[in-house]
Amino acid sequence: MVVSFLGEFMKVLVVGSGGREHALTLLISRSMLNPKIYIVMDYRNPGLERISEKSGGRWFIATTTSPKEVGKTAEEVSPDLVIIGPEEPQFSGVSTYLREKGFIVFGADAKCAEIEKSKVFARTLMWKYEIPGRLYFKAFRSIDEAKKFIEFAGDVVIKPARQAGGKGVKVLKDTQAYLSKDKVNIKKNYIDKLYSEMESYGDIDYKILVEQRVEGVEYTAQVITDGSSFVFLPIIQDHPHAYEFDTGPETGGMGSISGPGWIPPFLDQEEFERTKDIVAKVLYSLSVEIGINYMGAFAGQMMLTGVWGPTVIEFYSRFGDPEASNLVPIVVSDFLDLLDRAARQKLASAKLEIDEEKVVVVKAVAPVGYPDNKRIAIDHPIKVDEDRIKDIGCEVLYASVSIGPDGNLYTRGSRAVEIVCYGSSYEEAYSLSEKAVTYVESLDGWSLFHRGDIGSPWLVRERIKLAEKIRRIYSDRARRGVLGEMYVWIPGEGIYSNPLLSPVRW
Amino acid sequence: MTGLLAIYAFDDLWNLGPYIRYGLMSLQHRGAENYVVCISEGDVKCYTANNIDNVSEHVATNKVIAATYSNRDEALYIHKEDGLDIAVLADIPNAVLEEVAKELSRALKKDGTVKGVTRALENFGAKEYIPSFIAITNRGDIIVWRSVSGLTPLVLGGYGFDMAIVSSETTAIDILGADTRRFLLPGEGLLISRYLLTKFNTASAINPRLCLFEILYLARHDAIVDNVSVYSFRKSLGKELGERFNRDVDVVVGVPETAIPYAIGFSQTINKPFELAFIATGGRVRSMLRFDPREKLIAIHLKMNPIRHSLEGKRVAIVDDSMVTGSTIKTISQILRYRVGVDEVHLLIASPPLISTCPYNIMKLDMESLLAANLSKEMALKYLEVDSLSWLQPEVIDSVAKMYRLKLCGKCFGREFFG
Repeated sequence: MVVSFLGEFMKVLVVGSGGREHALTLLISRSMLNPKIYIVMDYRNPGLERISEKSGGRWFIATTTSPKEVGKTAEEVSPDLVIIGPEEPQFSGVSTYLREKGFIVFGADAKCAEIEKSKVFARTLMWKYEIPGRLYFKAFRSIDEAKKFIEFAGDVVIKPARQAGGKGVKVLKDTQAYLSKDKVNIKKNYIDKLYSEMESYGDIDYKILVEQRVEGVEYTAQVITDGSSFVFLPIIQDHPHAYEFDTGPETGGMGSISGPGWIPPFLDQEEFERTKDIVAKVLYSLSVEIGINYMGAFAGQMMLTGVWGPTVIEFYSRFGDPEASNLVPIVVSDFLDLLDRAARQKLASAKLEIDEEKVVVVKAVAPVGYPDNKRIAIDHPIKVDEDRIKDIGCEVLYASVSIGPDGNLYTRGSRAVEIVCYGSSYEEAYSLSEKAVTYVESLDGWSLFHRGDIGSPWLVRERIKLAEKIRRIYSDRARRGVLGEMYVWIPGEGIYSNPLLSPVRW
Repeated sequence: MTGLLAIYAFDDLWNLGPYIRYGLMSLQHRGAENYVVCISEGDVKCYTANNIDNVSEHVATNKVIAATYSNRDEALYIHKEDGLDIAVLADIPNAVLEEVAKELSRALKKDGTVKGVTRALENFGAKEYIPSFIAITNRGDIIVWRSVSGLTPLVLGGYGFDMAIVSSETTAIDILGADTRRFLLPGEGLLISRYLLTKFNTASAINPRLCLFEILYLARHDAIVDNVSVYSFRKSLGKELGERFNRDVDVVVGVPETAIPYAIGFSQTINKPFELAFIATGGRVRSMLRFDPREKLIAIHLKMNPIRHSLEGKRVAIVDDSMVTGSTIKTISQILRYRVGVDEVHLLIASPPLISTCPYNIMKLDMESLLAANLSKEMALKYLEVDSLSWLQPEVIDSVAKMYRLKLCGKCFGREFFG
């Protein structure tokens, strides 16, 4: 424990408004450091309000992406530690600004957060430092360049080149020649659509990324770091599809599962080790590249693929959301102490202890309209019967929901609440979570939805089956010494080590 | 019999014409005489034709339902209620579907959620047999539901973040480059709209069971039905035939082309070579799905030009999945004996004798023309001109069904269930 102050309590200022921040404040509120929790948030999150009040702290409403506004609150509070939850305040320089003002900050510096903000930067870094699990990509500044390239592209994913709230990814599996011609048009039209959406971001050069498509089992590897030491968190699996059975549009995550122990049942220990190795290499390379120590949370959104085994899909310069929620029932160590040590670059020898018996199932409940039409999803009153949820041993985390003038809770368009349940098995945690979500109700008849399949033993078994298939593919590629390599032969032209190209031109 | 296909693309950039074209192509083996598509464009529009292109050309939208039919069994039911039109495509024609269409459109108009849909379907009670169906409304919602009877399957697939695809068979999901996500359980349904895909379950006291013919004959060898590999199931039955066969033969052949996996399983078990015996002329035609006797014979004859060299002077074991009228086998034995000149013909059928009609109208079996119901075994041997005839006993189907954890309908074989 770092005793850098002499009082009986520690003042902590948390920046951020959502479910992840609610999870983090719950975790730190149990600390022996006796924190007074101050919050600066964009809207009145009921969970954050309550925790701050209960701890003897205060809450403030401000624009959390504004270094000046957050700085003003920090001056007023004079915290011993500032924790930056989301990525956008990092991108806009809030962490950098506060550090310059002399505050102790847990949260990536703006330059470090480039690893999440710019997917081009992240991919380029992986290629420059030859980090395993890297995918082929090509980035475009202009729409014409992108559309010209896409004419000849094969089996690819089209992404916004900047982090855009975890959305905008188009996965266009293109392995059937009879459907390819049609997909070229979809790709071009999508580039038009995406480009116009990306134009509003003035803070990046590249707008569009075309990436090698891979398939497999996704998982998130999170780590707390001070730039030289790493404390890894257990592997957690998020579920990006909006609807049941992994169908429907991409969301920020409809729920997540973890446990028992450090890895979910579909991953093996060696894959966990290789994942940690990739994440550590990325952080080392990043500090070499930009010359700044990374102090904060970092996450690799990974996928077990046939091409590489553990493969990087993207990075987060913060804790995942809803992945942070899975930590709530299982962290045994003093979480605030860990974050504080990371922020002071004294993480060496720190360890995280977790309850290895527990399986955790987290479910997001969202208003209909999320994720593609937030306009219709916004401003619906909801009721959360917290007592009954707690009675069955689950926890509610408030996310995209705020207290309205009439005291009711109103949706803000994204995932309104997250339900966190645990048990000694998936069966148990799953059935609790399904019961708990019934205690979240709409008050105006506007439907709320959640995914009934997340955490079910059935879906976990499906993941295990898929992982076994993927393991066979990459294990043989490893034996043959061709991990990561992909070749395309265009007769008459040559052989390319570039799977973005299509062997046939339409 | 019918192949159903429903596709919902969540991004309106998609034009599903090519998807319907290739999807229906992958379901053609379930019947290829007639095709139908229904789209939602303010109101519901359906188009039918006897070839795929003439229906798929009407599809330029991002949500569509479609079906392929054998003969003229088109099971399309349209109901227009004030403000809510619905088109229902079922996989078996049944008059109750008129009522189902009406009740669904009323429920959707009033409530619009799965609660209303579930209630509407449950209100029909356990006595009414409602076939599996897919439906589309003028609001652009798609509803799919697997019959509580479980007789015919439905499977959900996903293509990236873009499409939900529901089909009678996994072949369509494979061919469209999507991934199989869920074999719908009996009574399980989905209501798919732009901003929500909801699962619902209709309660029923019925013991669900899959039609044995689905996995025996109808599905393609490359399909997975209710988590069971069709190819593996068929090979297992061939193996069972082999274990009970006590004659000596030189070669094993399968009746093209449904029976090939049975013949392979049989040949591997008795340790005799499996040979190619017949080559088809023209496209693949499911002769069993033809009901006009003359058309059926034409279809059979076109499938059966023999490869004489593999067979001449040999004792031949010929394997088939089932025997309905025996007309295919009669044709084959004639070809083998008189055109090829084989020594002996031994017939192995990978299912029990068919002795009863199908109460669900899935298989159109006419009591008068069922060979096993009308001819004694001795007469059958003489008529078919075969040296021996082996059927699989119901107990064997039972044990194989159990091995695959399947509950199968056995009504036309004189049994309630297998497995």
